[in-house]
Amino acid sequence: MIDVKTILEEIKAAPYEEIEITAPHTGVINFEITTPGVKVAGSSGTYREKPGTLLAAITREHNAKPIHASVNGEVSHIRSDLDGKFVEAGEPLMVVRHFLTKDEVVEAILQKVLFLFTAPERAKYYFIPSADKKIKASGCRSVTVKPGMELFIVSRMKREKPLNYEGPEGIIYAVYFDHDQNVDMGGPLIGVCPEDQTGVIQDVINRVQSDWEERS
Amino acid sequence: MPEKKHKVLVANRGEIAMRIVQACQKLGLPSVCVYTKEDAHSGHVALARSIGGEDAVYRISSYHDANELLSVADHAGATAVHPGYGFFAEDYRFARRVSERSNPLVFIGPSWRIIRSLGDKINTKRLARSLNVPTVPGSDRPVYDEIEAEEIAETLFAFQAEQGIEHSVVLVKASAGGGGMGIEEIHDLDQFKTVYRRIRNYAKRQFHDEGVLIEQRIFDFNHLEVQVVADRTGKSIAHFGTRNCSVQSTGRQKRIEVAPGFRPQEVHYAFDASKVLKDIVSYSLRMAEEVGYDNVGTWEWIVSPMGQPFLMEVNTRIQVENGVSAAISRIKGQGGVDLIREQIRLALGEPMGYTQEDITFEGVGIEYRIIAEDPANKFTPWVGRIDAFEAPVNDWTSTHTQIPQGEPYVIPTEFDPNLALAIIWGKDLAQAKQRGMEFLDKLILSGQDQTGDSLRSNVRFLKEKTVTLLQF
Repeated sequence: MIDVKTILEEIKAAPYEEIEITAPHTGVINFEITTPGVKVAGSSGTYREKPGTLLAAITREHNAKPIHASVNGEVSHIRSDLDGKFVEAGEPLMVVRHFLTKDEVVEAILQKVLFLFTAPERAKYYFIPSADKKIKASGCRSVTVKPGMELFIVSRMKREKPLNYEGPEGIIYAVYFDHDQNVDMGGPLIGVCPEDQTGVIQDVINRVQSDWEERS
Repeated sequence: MPEKKHKVLVANRGEIAMRIVQACQKLGLPSVCVYTKEDAHSGHVALARSIGGEDAVYRISSYHDANELLSVADHAGATAVHPGYGFFAEDYRFARRVSERSNPLVFIGPSWRIIRSLGDKINTKRLARSLNVPTVPGSDRPVYDEIEAEEIAETLFAFQAEQGIEHSVVLVKASAGGGGMGIEEIHDLDQFKTVYRRIRNYAKRQFHDEGVLIEQRIFDFNHLEVQVVADRTGKSIAHFGTRNCSVQSTGRQKRIEVAPGFRPQEVHYAFDASKVLKDIVSYSLRMAEEVGYDNVGTWEWIVSPMGQPFLMEVNTRIQVENGVSAAISRIKGQGGVDLIREQIRLALGEPMGYTQEDITFEGVGIEYRIIAEDPANKFTPWVGRIDAFEAPVNDWTSTHTQIPQGEPYVIPTEFDPNLALAIIWGKDLAQAKQRGMEFLDKLILSGQDQTGDSLRSNVRFLKEKTVTLLQF
């Protein structure tokens, strides 16, 4: 049985994530935030349609692309030496220290409770059309999976093949991959909750709701 | 070279990027390469770095981002852009942008108007017909309407029946695809709707575009090409012979190319093969002259079992297989022809400096595309780590590969698992085949995938196909 209290204590000891912001493209970088310690807001709105704090802009071919904070937090490090310079794609620009929210803590703990069905190889993964339709209409928890059932389409170098689910019967509680993004071998694809574990899940959620204090 | 000192941005990756860098070196031109994080260990990065140092390589987010490529070009002080093949090579908008921006650069390829004109397959066919050049039926553009698609398929079955093909096959293909992916065959119209819908859904998922092409399957045809080269004036146009690209994977990807396209001196054909070669060259040049073609390009043909040629399309770029034509070509009796060097030189405005009479052909060339794939399993790409790649060295072989020497190389899953191109020369077909087999026998290639299984490659397939090369 999982010890939620102990896990929570571990997370409380380091209740944040250090997020490195890198140059999305090659171009000239201009920082909007120039000093560490500044608090930033992530994207917001029902559909996360409102962009977060403007951190910097990168210009290539007269096109300035804004770089916004994706999460709330505090800028802990800035590569000020790069301001106004031409940088290559992937160059680290700054670090934002993001304090975990209740939802993120629940998510982290659930990864330890749920059965994780992992990627057998580095590839892009899609749900088969019938499952995809159901998930889009009613959410992932509307889908019950059984061992041996065809669930995914594996796409590598634009070649596709089916992938069957193997693991305990249960509902898909979490989906860990994004559309059109590669998943490394061993990376989790879905978290499945066997029926006899639903009580544990509820306990995790309740415990985090009452014990976790969010920091802005 | 022209008076202005040029610097070339190589807007491509892998083996073709390496050949462009080497061609620039031959011309005394500096070059600069780009790479994505997946390609950090590719040979093209190491080569560029070894020649030009750290300033000769730039990491970018994507080879498809024109903004990034052009900002790198400006930062590096490049004056010309070589697109290689694929990516932006046949994108007339990119070519136009490169040459008409506020800081104009030379696009190393045909001018954008030529690319636009011949890249439009309807336009190409119209031009061909106006010049009495025979063309192949099929969809000239992506089809989005099921009824229209079915009508085209019906026409293609009728065409194959007319050509005496016993078992007709039509291809249904994702228009935005490439490299043989998203293609299925149908053998009669009853299968059409199911296959069409499956490919349309695949295309939507993979390419976000539902367009589908309906084409011939060229089982019983041969696939030939004519290599055209022209200078910027569009008035000096020559050809560098023909190639036969009939050895292909199930997905219609070329695997072996042979120059010349037929070899009537050694192989018996049921038709006048010399006349066919002469005809396709003549038709290709007629079209090139009509449009004022102004760089390298390839006219692609299919030839029926009865020896009738039909134009498929024009590729307004350098082809992968350019080296096999170069291997058998002589200019004013001299070997060592490099069509990429010619392409760069002519794009930068140099006059051709020779005429068709100065170009002669000697022997037979074979190009093998060595690929990590499983031919027995529909040519499924294999992905893993290459532990050893060692190509035999002879004065009749040239090998082009992005695999770094002396260190393991992990094939990026983002690109096709092409490992190397090997070009073999022989004084005749028999010798070229014998040397080809010797090369493939001595090639050292090994690797392992993530699960510990051994590398799969198409080497055995290449050997098997070598036996019957150019037979029709």
